[in-house]
Amino acid sequence: MNDSIAAAPVRVDDYAELRDYAVIGDGRSIALIARDGAVDWLSWPDLDSPTLFAAVLDHVRGGRFFLRPDVPYTASRRYLPGTNVLETTFTTADGTVRVTDALTLPDTASLAPGRELIRRIEGLAGTVPMRWSIQPRFGYGAHTPHVARRAGVPVATFGAEAVAVCAWHAGRPQCTADSVTARFRADAGTRALIALPYAHQEPLVLPTRAECEARLDHTTTTWQKWADDRTYTGPWREAVLRSALALKLLVFAPSGAVAAAGTCSLPEELEGERNWDYRFSWIRDSAFTLDAFLKLGCAPEATSYLWWLMHASQLTHPRLHVLYRLNGDTRAPEQTLPLSGYRNSAPVRVGNAAAGQLQLDTYGELLQTAWLYTTAGHHLDADIARRLAETADFICTIWQQPDAGIWEVRSDPEHFTQSKMMCWITLDRALGLAGRQLIPDRHAARWRHERQAISDYVEACCFSERLNSYLRSADSDDLDASLLLGLLHGYRPPDHPRMHGTVLAVQRTLRDGPYVNRYRGSDGLSGSEGAFLACSFWLAEALARCGRIEEAVSLMDQLVALANDVGLYSEEIDRVTGAFLGNLPQGLSHLALISAACAIGEATR
Amino acid sequence: MSIWAALAGGFVGTLILTTGLRAANTFNLTRIDLPFLLGTAFTSDRTRAKALGYGAHFINGQMFALLYYAVFAAIGYSSWWLGTVFGLVHGLFAATALVNILLPLVHPRMGTSQTSAPEVALLEPPGFLMLNYGRGTPTVTLAAHLAYGTIVGGFVTWPA
Repeated sequence: MNDSIAAAPVRVDDYAELRDYAVIGDGRSIALIARDGAVDWLSWPDLDSPTLFAAVLDHVRGGRFFLRPDVPYTASRRYLPGTNVLETTFTTADGTVRVTDALTLPDTASLAPGRELIRRIEGLAGTVPMRWSIQPRFGYGAHTPHVARRAGVPVATFGAEAVAVCAWHAGRPQCTADSVTARFRADAGTRALIALPYAHQEPLVLPTRAECEARLDHTTTTWQKWADDRTYTGPWREAVLRSALALKLLVFAPSGAVAAAGTCSLPEELEGERNWDYRFSWIRDSAFTLDAFLKLGCAPEATSYLWWLMHASQLTHPRLHVLYRLNGDTRAPEQTLPLSGYRNSAPVRVGNAAAGQLQLDTYGELLQTAWLYTTAGHHLDADIARRLAETADFICTIWQQPDAGIWEVRSDPEHFTQSKMMCWITLDRALGLAGRQLIPDRHAARWRHERQAISDYVEACCFSERLNSYLRSADSDDLDASLLLGLLHGYRPPDHPRMHGTVLAVQRTLRDGPYVNRYRGSDGLSGSEGAFLACSFWLAEALARCGRIEEAVSLMDQLVALANDVGLYSEEIDRVTGAFLGNLPQGLSHLALISAACAIGEATR
Repeated sequence: MSIWAALAGGFVGTLILTTGLRAANTFNLTRIDLPFLLGTAFTSDRTRAKALGYGAHFINGQMFALLYYAVFAAIGYSSWWLGTVFGLVHGLFAATALVNILLPLVHPRMGTSQTSAPEVALLEPPGFLMLNYGRGTPTVTLAAHLAYGTIVGGFVTWPA
């Protein structure tokens, strides 16, 4: 990928645009780095741990690590090809300097710290005065660390956590009570390096410079090898590969869980209340996730994810929680942090109250996931097979209940059409698996009967002859972009008149340029939101499956152009300004991109 | 006090321990499945792993029974309640070190806190007190090991 266009970074009230963030990670956590070189988000040791840097949520209390020229500059950046290693080039009147950032992957050549951020600074031309400052704030900014030198190395500690600041040819670090700061000159041909090794409940490892350099190179080659192994050869390959790399950052390697996004409480509306913690794994995303893994040739990730999914949901079986923690825990109590929020978008929440909702669509997602997994040639063991059959039995008893729907509305439960469609999918896939002798078929007759009952209900109560479309919920007049999932997951085929009509109705009613609104009805929250990107990709895929290839390609081209300069997407986009809204990188946006690109590629073949 | 009694106690104790954990598993009290954890060290085939795991688990049960017997013999005293104490120590060791730390280090398919991209674990790590497998796991595991220790202690002492 080429460097993005050089531009002078802009901050408003000391906050960078969300679009200006790139992400780096190591399969355990992620960091957000702004175009101006500031690390404004980093949670250690794990993706869902409290943060060390959270300036993106509170520029005063959150803590950050900035590294930038000490004179006016422009910045361009890119990922090193096929990697999650970020390269930012700062250009000033007197010279050029390049910064390479990575959360390193451990190698076997040396003793690696538990976690490590490395920033390599190379002088390319002239001389550039540089300045950097590290302001660690443990626990979402709640704890100011104690900073002191140990063996000459600045170390910030709080409780069982410690982070060291190892700098080579990057000036003489000055320690204050709560930060480490330095200035230096980056001359052409010189190379400086700053490493932040981190320890949690163990002694700090203080690496040598040679080890850090080797680990950064190892990290680059490891990512490149992973990317080289991806099998996708269809259209928009670069965007798909970047989405695969972004998705890989959301795979929590220690368990195989896939987080919905890497951050919490980045707002869906500036100064609004729609600020949620997405560092959990949503069952809602499971079918898209598994499908993407399979299409990208990520068989180990697919198997690991299914194993984790079945392990995590075991304690609540046959009920499914909406979301699970990355370690499989079911508890995600929502609480508000005393942070000001991104541009005063408060409250800042961690945890997610949606965990306790009833969402009927999750059952269909689980069975669809198992269906995709077995269709790809994998097997189910007896325990998983039994549980899937019991899940189908369970949906027979609860599908008539109202629920919170895929969008987790906080208004009263309703009979959402997409939820009922996914209940139908639950039983249809159960019958398919039973027909292939993959799960017990003792209750197949009951599944068949209830599947027909759901179909009768949806066709009688959830379809409008006037709009020639399925409706958001039974007896409503609204449309909902989630209805497209009825087509994508197979409730009805694309040539079914009612489903075809629904695609056209969604396009006619909810589409605004490349953007597709989720819905226009009430959701129990104040304010509004940006355009939900996944819905736009779903529409592109639905159009392709309906044979409207040119429209699908045109929409897809527009959507791919909406990514930021390094190919990432957040959850939503402001329709007017194009600003990113919501958490990032957003797994569902990238999953929907992969799925749409694959579908359009298949349709054009 | 005989070594055969210890082995018999180890067999019965492991039977009870395994049955207890499996029952707790079925009642959604915990996600721990020791035979599965052990078996997946040898194969990624889930069905075969469970069969292998049960075998490995019973061998482990015999080895721990011999360890109990060695301590009983060394101090020249055995009783069911001392077996219970051994079971308590055994259970705490299993929850805090053996399964939590040592097993992930040697298990080729289990994640650790250090597992990183591009690797991906097939089995999530147990975590401190194996709490990742459910909040009831420490209680269930400890109770099962107390029963195991009591049975081994009782067998070694009986019929003296």
